[in-house]
Amino acid sequence: MTYALHVLNMISIYAILALSLNLLVGYTGLLSLSHAAFYGIGAYICSLLMMKLSFPFLPAMLLSIVGAVAISFLISLPSLRLRGDYFVLASLGFQIIVFSVLYNCVELTQGPFGISDIPRPSVFGLTLTSAGSYLAFSVVVAAVCGGLLYLIGQSPFGRVLKAIREDEIAAESLGKRVSQFKVIAFAIAAGFAAVAGTVFAGYLRYIDPTSFTLVESIFILSIIIIGGTGNVTGPLTGTALMLLLPEALSFLGIPDNIAPNLRQVIYGVLIILIMRYRPQGLMGEYRYQ
Amino acid sequence: MSKLELQNVTKAFGGVLAVDGASLAFDEGKVSALIGPNGAGKTTIFNLISGLLCPTEGDVYYDGKKISGFAPWRVSQAGVGRLFQDVRVFDRLTVRDNVSMAFKGQKGESAIMSIIKRWQVSREEKELRGRVEELLESVGLAGREDELAVDLSYGQQKLLALARLLAAEMDVLLLDEPTAGVNPRMVDKILELVRKVVAGGKTVIIIEHNMNVVREHVDVAFFMNEGRVAFSGEPNAVLAAPQVKTAYLRM
Repeated sequence: MTYALHVLNMISIYAILALSLNLLVGYTGLLSLSHAAFYGIGAYICSLLMMKLSFPFLPAMLLSIVGAVAISFLISLPSLRLRGDYFVLASLGFQIIVFSVLYNCVELTQGPFGISDIPRPSVFGLTLTSAGSYLAFSVVVAAVCGGLLYLIGQSPFGRVLKAIREDEIAAESLGKRVSQFKVIAFAIAAGFAAVAGTVFAGYLRYIDPTSFTLVESIFILSIIIIGGTGNVTGPLTGTALMLLLPEALSFLGIPDNIAPNLRQVIYGVLIILIMRYRPQGLMGEYRYQ
Repeated sequence: MSKLELQNVTKAFGGVLAVDGASLAFDEGKVSALIGPNGAGKTTIFNLISGLLCPTEGDVYYDGKKISGFAPWRVSQAGVGRLFQDVRVFDRLTVRDNVSMAFKGQKGESAIMSIIKRWQVSREEKELRGRVEELLESVGLAGREDELAVDLSYGQQKLLALARLLAAEMDVLLLDEPTAGVNPRMVDKILELVRKVVAGGKTVIIIEHNMNVVREHVDVAFFMNEGRVAFSGEPNAVLAAPQVKTAYLRM
């Protein structure tokens, strides 16, 4: 039972990550490899505020969002002028920088040792002590994030993002300030990734840089490539599939020393098959080009 | 004063002069045409006006204000819109969304407003729906609102791109080969729309290779050759010029 609650908690966290990355990849057509960096920034800012400055969880969460959004501006203002592959490389560079900082800035982040004993989150006077109560909280947060991202995607703002995805020059020629829309979309995605980071930190009560690596960014991207982009159902389908798949494999009785590698192989094969036979993903409406 | 003016504009790509000291003036309420052989610099002139290129020398003026060096979105917001030669509709957006996104000053284009003033944005969207349907009817695309733009024929995509420009309420319309590759019925529709917008006081500039269209629908023609404006004036007079006949019409 506890294990099932753990899986559901992780699904809630990854749903926020996938839905927010979808705003960049599926709506705006920006392939980002730095989502785990913002996920980590959220987790670290929240944890440090709670531990070093005794902030309550919710204010720490809000400041984590503000921090991630501010950092996103520093990155997006120079790099969003880049297009296509060059933006992918810029986001990759940022991801590597963030990991290096988290790993090497030992005095602040405790480097590879990570931060442990993060206080249990307390929300509106209620301390979330059990996995069940935390699941209720993480599901509510994921639902609120999903709802907001859905509304943003359906709004005229989302429509302009989709137009930018289709043809930047045409969108600009119709008076839309493309670089500004991209900066805002990047900031929104960063802010929501930070929310996922705070929920993750509050749930595990231990974080270290290995949770926020390039591999993690690629995993989040894989979720939305497999599930599909450009709508809400694709990322949610991808999240459920990619997080439940290892659990399904565990029932096959595969030895522990083989299982993790086999999981990676299966992810790889899935991505190849989907790219070949259903490039828009299982439930997506947009095919990244 | 002309609505749009290019003064001694030059555009060099490396050592090649795509536009070489061109001066053109386009008046309000008139259809002007840029004609000339391929490589004469016509599309480069459009790129210079719409902000996709910056002049190497010279300036572009709109309503007397310098707009050269402006980003394309600023040129567009000032009131200069463009129909591209390769149409550039938003393929995976519906016909309705293609037109809806072109309206200026939408509150819902702010991500924050789309959340905190959701009801106001919804009301604005409802109003837009009606205007989009009117516009689509005027270009002959009524009933196609929910189809993806990619599923329209090439001619229909041109009509959709025109509807987008009309939605954006541009004062100057740059139409790059609006009738090329389009069946005669749609050519008539496009020209009818051009006449209508010009009658409404707008300025239309077209790049056109169909000389019948130039003779019958254009007020002023500019013949371009090797990046220069070689000849300009009333279309029949321009087309009758010996230089135009030999360099362009192969007569």
